[in-house]
Amino acid sequence: MPTTVVGNYPKIPNKPRPARLRNAINKRDRGDLTSDELEAVYDEVSAEVIQEQIDAGIDIVTDGQVHWDDDQTYVMRALKSVEIGSLERYLDTNTYYRQPEIVGPIGWEKPILVRDFQFAQEHSTKPVKTIITGPYTLAALSLDKHYNNREKLVLAIAEALRNEIQALASAGAKHIQVNDPMILRAGADAHAAASALTLMLEGVSAETGVYTWFGSAAAVLPALLDTPVDVIGLDFVSGPANWDAVSRGFTKKLGFGIVDGRNTRLESPEQVAEAVKRISDIIPPERLYVNPSCGLGYLPRETAFDKLKNMVEGARRAEGVPV
Amino acid sequence: MVTQQSHTATASPRSASTTLITTAVGSYAKPDYLARARTEFSSGKISREDLDKLEKQATEYWIRAQEKVGLDVLVHGEMERGDMVAYFSGEAGGNPIKGMKLGGLVRSYGNRYYHKPIVFDKLEWPGPMTVDMWKYAQSLTDRPVKGMLTGAYTMVEWSFDEHYPSRRDAVLEMAKVIRREVEELVKAGCYYIQIDEPAIHTRPEEDFDMAVESMHATVDGIDAEFHTHICYGEVEKIYPAMVRLPVKQIHLAFKNTNFDYLKLIDQFGYADDKDLGVGVTDVHTRFLEPVDEVKDGIRETLKRLPADRLWIYPDCGLKTRTTEESEGKLQVMVDAVRDIKQELGIA
Repeated sequence: MPTTVVGNYPKIPNKPRPARLRNAINKRDRGDLTSDELEAVYDEVSAEVIQEQIDAGIDIVTDGQVHWDDDQTYVMRALKSVEIGSLERYLDTNTYYRQPEIVGPIGWEKPILVRDFQFAQEHSTKPVKTIITGPYTLAALSLDKHYNNREKLVLAIAEALRNEIQALASAGAKHIQVNDPMILRAGADAHAAASALTLMLEGVSAETGVYTWFGSAAAVLPALLDTPVDVIGLDFVSGPANWDAVSRGFTKKLGFGIVDGRNTRLESPEQVAEAVKRISDIIPPERLYVNPSCGLGYLPRETAFDKLKNMVEGARRAEGVPV
Repeated sequence: MVTQQSHTATASPRSASTTLITTAVGSYAKPDYLARARTEFSSGKISREDLDKLEKQATEYWIRAQEKVGLDVLVHGEMERGDMVAYFSGEAGGNPIKGMKLGGLVRSYGNRYYHKPIVFDKLEWPGPMTVDMWKYAQSLTDRPVKGMLTGAYTMVEWSFDEHYPSRRDAVLEMAKVIRREVEELVKAGCYYIQIDEPAIHTRPEEDFDMAVESMHATVDGIDAEFHTHICYGEVEKIYPAMVRLPVKQIHLAFKNTNFDYLKLIDQFGYADDKDLGVGVTDVHTRFLEPVDEVKDGIRETLKRLPADRLWIYPDCGLKTRTTEESEGKLQVMVDAVRDIKQELGIA
């Protein structure tokens, strides 16, 4: 049962380790560093957080989304007819993002994530999973000044991002994960959200997944099970109702989000092992990934690492592997 | 009307004015010498006594500046605080609540990071956290100085909780700690106490009752006048539930949204037993609003509530503005209020 992560990873460590990226951005802002030099630091830090995940024992890593300012703008700003607007609170966190504004017909122009994927894979001894934010979440967290219709906007984003998915698959991406937390709040739009995923991912030659967090997916699970994704990731920390939701007719692989990505309280390997054994009674281990409940970017870097280490140790114990 | 006030302990100074009382939200910019001294103190280069001296020097500057501008009720300016939650949780120079510490750096957006506090053990009042500075500030002036605290809901919401089984448990324990501090302030002679809850609109549908309950636990039965400042963002999501907060006065940033919140009052009403704090100057702009523009805002508000139930403020703390900008914005506000009072025939 492979261990993985959900997406982002803290960008800077605490003392005595240097906050290289933070310092480099400050230097660039003061004019003491060129944009190219800053890009090089982004790359170094990406390689560093990839290695940190590997050191923690993670089987399928991400590039930590180090280049991303937030989950929305990194993708949206590269699409046609999107401007970047005001600072908004991200769901119920104390973290903020710039709100994308849709000012005309959305369109895909050139690869957005391919170069990052290639860099990450070159710097990783483990398979790299590419993360892309889902069309429903991008639509829901944007300000729509053009379509004036949620479903049309969602499908337009999905159609644009289908090009990105294909470019990633052609570049050799074997694991593509769509992070779509707003699907949990889609209500009557759940089917539009699911159709968008299908439009984006149908027929792609990679393992694809959709991950959600901050709540239970019970209401949208039937719609998600109808999409062509291979993996559905659920947050079992903030959504205990997910235990019940996956207990009947869950036909996909499950991304089992059991380590709390939002709180520094450390889960022990025993607690993880116990939870993994419990889920193994519902979903067979060959259909399980073990991962945190959400991206780890809400935590201090050292806590994120400790959580991953304990998670890996817990998963290995649950499998009966001596650690 | 009471015209003379003593500032000695237990006298509880109150504003000499009862209509359109002018005041500020809390923070002002720290002078360069203090910013430098805080860094030096953090790295052990100067003593607590050295820092204390400079904090008091800067506090005195702001007390005099507010007197000169002519505010009715003063704030001490928060020269000793960096962040409104971190100050109570382990920030250098503060007296942290027992059971709290500052954690590692966490990103809030862009390239901004902060040391997010952690509740790691049972929360307990550590002895006075804000009383000495309040006493010092009040000793400098005959005008009332507000006590300034951060509410229990915000303290918990902006921290990690490793100790309590639920957010509600943590918030109610935190309320006991803040209440204890309130009692000490009152004992020292403080009458106006502002308890800020900027996090209150984070999760309104789930948590609003909890936030109200924790404010009750913090203030009920205590003989003082309580105010709360609700920061920017989504006031429409918490209105009218917000009006249930058991405080005498709620302050909102009216100017930043061009007095749109008045529509909420038109639609849902406001509490008959509450005063309203009206932010009339934007703290995110450098330019000074013309006095006439500020007067227009006050006049619009007066169409809904009488002058003796309005307090006039800037929108928010002024710590991101320069000294000159802050004093300018306060002066515009005081000038506008003076004109309006003349129009209304109020002394």
